[in-house]
Amino acid sequence: MTVMREFTKGLWKELPPFRLVLGLCPTLAVTNSADNGLGMGLAVIFVLTLSNMLISMVRSIIPKKVRIACFIVIAASLVVAVELLMQAYAYPLYQQLGIFVPLIVVNCIILGRAEAFAAKNGVAASVADGLGMGLGFTLSLTFLGSLREIWGNGTWFGHAVMWEGFEPLRIMVQAPGAFICLGLILAGMNLINVWQARRKGRDPQPLTQGCGACQACHMNHEA
Amino acid sequence: MIGMLRMVVVLSALCGLSGFALSYLKMVTAPRIEEQVLTYVQGPALARVFAHARNSPIADRRRFALDHGAVTVFPALRDGRLVGVALEERGKGYGGDIGVMVGFNVTDDSLAGIGVTTLKETPGLGMRVTEQAFAGQFSGVRAPVALTAQGGGIDGVSGATISSGGVVAAVNRAAQIYSRLKPEILKAWAE
Amino acid sequence: MEIFAIFISAIFVNNIVLAQYLGNCPYLGCSKEKSVALGMGGAVIFVIIVSTCCTWLMQRYVLDPYNLGYLQTIVFIVVIAALVQFVEMFLKKAVPPLYAALGIFLPLITTNCAVMGVAILVQREGFGLLESMLWGVAYGLGFTLALLLMAGIRERLDTCRLPKCMAGTPIALVMAGLMSLAFMGFKGMGQ
Repeated sequence: MTVMREFTKGLWKELPPFRLVLGLCPTLAVTNSADNGLGMGLAVIFVLTLSNMLISMVRSIIPKKVRIACFIVIAASLVVAVELLMQAYAYPLYQQLGIFVPLIVVNCIILGRAEAFAAKNGVAASVADGLGMGLGFTLSLTFLGSLREIWGNGTWFGHAVMWEGFEPLRIMVQAPGAFICLGLILAGMNLINVWQARRKGRDPQPLTQGCGACQACHMNHEA
Repeated sequence: MIGMLRMVVVLSALCGLSGFALSYLKMVTAPRIEEQVLTYVQGPALARVFAHARNSPIADRRRFALDHGAVTVFPALRDGRLVGVALEERGKGYGGDIGVMVGFNVTDDSLAGIGVTTLKETPGLGMRVTEQAFAGQFSGVRAPVALTAQGGGIDGVSGATISSGGVVAAVNRAAQIYSRLKPEILKAWAE
Repeated sequence: MEIFAIFISAIFVNNIVLAQYLGNCPYLGCSKEKSVALGMGGAVIFVIIVSTCCTWLMQRYVLDPYNLGYLQTIVFIVVIAALVQFVEMFLKKAVPPLYAALGIFLPLITTNCAVMGVAILVQREGFGLLESMLWGVAYGLGFTLALLLMAGIRERLDTCRLPKCMAGTPIALVMAGLMSLAFMGFKGMGQ
């Protein structure tokens, strides 16, 4: 039961990056098409699930003082594995994502989940947490990518979907479109949040905003 | 002291394990990665440069030493004889370097054609340097080439002067390398 | 002239936050006040200089000679993480005033993708040591500029009436979009 709950919380309640604003750089950078968003998301699922699993497995033998270093080594090794596998089996995707494949290692979702969850919980729960968070991240990226690709290029996963004579808004697939789109989606999430709370007759809880949600930054202080 | 020792042991064991696993993975994937790079980066451009090659230019490629580094040369053979070679060069574009595969006819040193390998230009403007209307102009002419604005014979893509100039610069650079390497190239595929 | 071109390109044309999408978390997280923005910017510039130097030497004298290029990611992140710790300890002991100014920002920097991003970018572009460090300084300045501008805007935004759902991160992102639109005007400069 709890495993199921750990899995589903990443899909809505703590959905990164739309509700917990985590991992913004890849979210903005690779979502110029639905394909890229999906590919990036899959890579993150792979790294996040395995790193959660490994860290949860070795959590009892890691000395507290060097745990951050250990997390970083584990996450970085998995990222290198993803890089190699992606080059061997999905080279066009690797080219598209470019520098953001190695940068998965500094994505605060990975270290944030390692510190906040995997280091304290069992293997099954950690895997569920990683899968859920990863899936939520993937769906969010694919959604944002679809939005930008449809409006900015008139296609979805490379297939033309808009009516004939549709003039694509080029700005959507470039940097400004990324920022504005994500901003509006976050505003939308806030609206839904307020609306939901009001329907249940409660005061709207503010969403965790900004990088406060990610504990990766604070953990060096404790170390 | 024990705690310190444990830290060192755990960390080095972790590093050792991950290093070992990764070097194994690297070994397993290495041949596939090389093949993928050639297929996806150079392959499409080569197909455009040599539409009628009977061999596989990628499989028959060779490397030649230059003053700085080396260059890979892709041959086009017909009936076992070398008819053309292609090599890749880069020029400065609008959003980064543009990689261009430049093909030469060995009989008269004219350009056989060009194919763009790597490009990060603006969609709809700079991206149009890959289109036949621009890229096709290079077939059959002799290097050095220049844009009409600079008194040459190549019409740039309107609205994308920088991208067009980048391609022209890459072609001219490739032509220099080709003329320097030509004797060696002819010797390499002579038999 | 070369140096001037690097600075124009890294600060305006290819601004690390607004055009390359790097370092967005601190860009939104540390841009509420100008003083915080300045401190963060200073810390980033400082760490980028040191880390670019170290990772460059690492790549040149360890990774390249032993054909370990595929371990780049893991080596770089470990070097940067260790470096940030050392810099923190060193500043605390040797330059207390600087530590007082930058200290609280240093731990945040390990997971700042701008630092790691610049280290990888200069490798992919194939720059020399001095050139890499210059690019590092310039990218850091670009980051600070973007952060400062944003902080200036957000300080004024506090006195504005906003729809409730837009307050905080959403409006900051939309502002970032408009800023990046403005910075797009620099594209094509310094080519």
